[in-house]
Amino acid sequence: MNSKSQAGNAFSFSWWHETVIGVLLLVVLLVAGWLVPGFLKPHSQLLLSRHLWEFAILALGMTLVILTGGIDLSVGSTMGLSAVVFGCVQTSTGSLVAASLSCLATGLCCGAVNGGLISQLRLHPLIVTLATFAAYRGIAEGWSQGNSYSRFGTNFSSLARGSWFGVPLPGVVFCVMAIGFAVFLSKTPNGRFLKAIGHNERAAKFSGIAVERIRFWLYATSGLLAGLASLIYVARFDTAKADVGKGFELDVITAVVLGGTSISGGRGNILGTLLGLLLIHETRMLVSRYWRSDELQWIVIGSLLIVAVLAYQLIARKPRS
Amino acid sequence: MSNLLPPIGHALRPARFGVRFSKLVRQRETGLLLLIVLTCVVVGIKDIHFLSCEVWREILVRCAATAIVACGVMLVVVTGEIDISVGSLMALLAAVMGRMISEHEWDISCWIGIPATLGLGTLIGVFTGCLVSVGRVPSIIVTLGLLTALRGLTTLIMGGQNIDRLPEGLTQLAKQGLCGVPLSILAAVGVIGLTSVLIHHIPLGRRLYALGSSAESARMAGLSAVRLKLFVFGYTGFLTALATIVDVPRLPKIEAGIGSEFELLVITCVVVGGVAISGGHGRLSGVLLAVVLMTMIRPVLTFMDIGEAGEKWTRAIQGMFILLAVVTDSFFLRRQRSSGGEHTA
Repeated sequence: MNSKSQAGNAFSFSWWHETVIGVLLLVVLLVAGWLVPGFLKPHSQLLLSRHLWEFAILALGMTLVILTGGIDLSVGSTMGLSAVVFGCVQTSTGSLVAASLSCLATGLCCGAVNGGLISQLRLHPLIVTLATFAAYRGIAEGWSQGNSYSRFGTNFSSLARGSWFGVPLPGVVFCVMAIGFAVFLSKTPNGRFLKAIGHNERAAKFSGIAVERIRFWLYATSGLLAGLASLIYVARFDTAKADVGKGFELDVITAVVLGGTSISGGRGNILGTLLGLLLIHETRMLVSRYWRSDELQWIVIGSLLIVAVLAYQLIARKPRS
Repeated sequence: MSNLLPPIGHALRPARFGVRFSKLVRQRETGLLLLIVLTCVVVGIKDIHFLSCEVWREILVRCAATAIVACGVMLVVVTGEIDISVGSLMALLAAVMGRMISEHEWDISCWIGIPATLGLGTLIGVFTGCLVSVGRVPSIIVTLGLLTALRGLTTLIMGGQNIDRLPEGLTQLAKQGLCGVPLSILAAVGVIGLTSVLIHHIPLGRRLYALGSSAESARMAGLSAVRLKLFVFGYTGFLTALATIVDVPRLPKIEAGIGSEFELLVITCVVVGGVAISGGHGRLSGVLLAVVLMTMIRPVLTFMDIGEAGEKWTRAIQGMFILLAVVTDSFFLRRQRSSGGEHTA
């Protein structure tokens, strides 16, 4: 975690990681097309993609967080708490709009609590979000007492299951947001400030960047996205329970890091995250379709993460002089 | 706690009292101890059985595995790295050990199975250390990958079935132990002793703290970061194997989900115990008290007699403790040195 220097040492060709991941993705797709007939057809890809969207939305926020050298372990738990709030509000008021808004608001609040603790008290993000990882999930469990809320009506579930010109609605939402995030990151001053903070926080602060304010909004955004992901998840399964989003944080972090965002901050982009997400998703689908085994996909994804980062360290880093 | 105080000559001067007091208050151990005692008193008033030997024996038995692994993870965190794979490693080792020595499976003698488990644990630890130190992959990434991969491997080894019927001798030893002291507590005491010797009495310990405080200075002072990191990860792997061996035979059967979120409990204890996540800071006594406090939460909730409803809040309370710990930390540190743009915890 201490190696802050790696981004600066990379070769002048700065797209190494994206290239490696892109090639890997192509290989996986070719193998999949060869092993599983019909895997590459647009129809089956769209069908399989329904597992992807919640992760993808979380990954956008996580990319920004990791880019500044932080981490957010609490997104999965935030999803759980938002889902429980959604269920509670829906059953007590009967209004889906109020429930959805309160679900998003819960996400935003959870993120804002993280952001406040990290930016105002200057605590380490890993610790704060580890604490809220336990706390949010615990509150969700204690509040719901293990009950699940379901049957929100077909209008609501069509939000997640419906499609627009063949693309699932959550996918449309994600694509719009991904473009927005990419533009924000590369074309606006605030986006570039994020990288500056990740590179060298103190230098960023001394050059007049409002580091703490940016950091606060960053974690708040991550929480809001978790609320949104929770909404989609609940709509997709038509059930809200305290264990919504369990284990998501690790998968999301894996995707982001696999996509070339440096865990110590300063390097990374949305394109890389997209590739990382797709690589994990396609690998997972291939393994589960061809070998029909869950455990194998965990092994493959875990090793993929280690090997990809190891390869990047070996290829793209000059040895220390 | 008396060894934490300054010499008596100092203490007698009234002007020093405030300093001494605020120093004592600032010690993480004081806060943790107060919290534990306070909880005991409150719960004891409600139900005196909470203070009985049997209850505390049970609590200590539950502490043991966490304490053993926390000793290793603490050293990892002290050197500025992190290990979040101990839970999955524990599951893998439990599965391998179960497969080897269970009477329903390969039925190998314990005398081969147990050393093999210890060896495998150490080997995986050293492998992690290799990736971190030689491969220069950040430790959070390596252990995140292992967390996922080892869990998958465990499920594969278990093949969807639970393992039971471990050798009678081992189960008995784990439950009743030697002379009435459970095996896990004996092992925990041994490991705590070993670790405190490591930290306080041989140069290795100080080197670990040096590496964690400043990797660059440690390198210039001629310390080998590679070797030290190999050691801490190998040690953690070894301790995880030890914890598996003494703790798992207590359970009626070995399931694939064993040790899930154990890594988070261990990290929580290390952090609540006052070890700085950025490395170079922290004491073993704090970590051990934190282990007791974290393990107490569930029995306390049971004794407070708030039923099933109350136990669901266990995790929320855990989270609150971490927050409390880091927030008080930052509060005291701020007052100590009011300037400083770095993260505190």
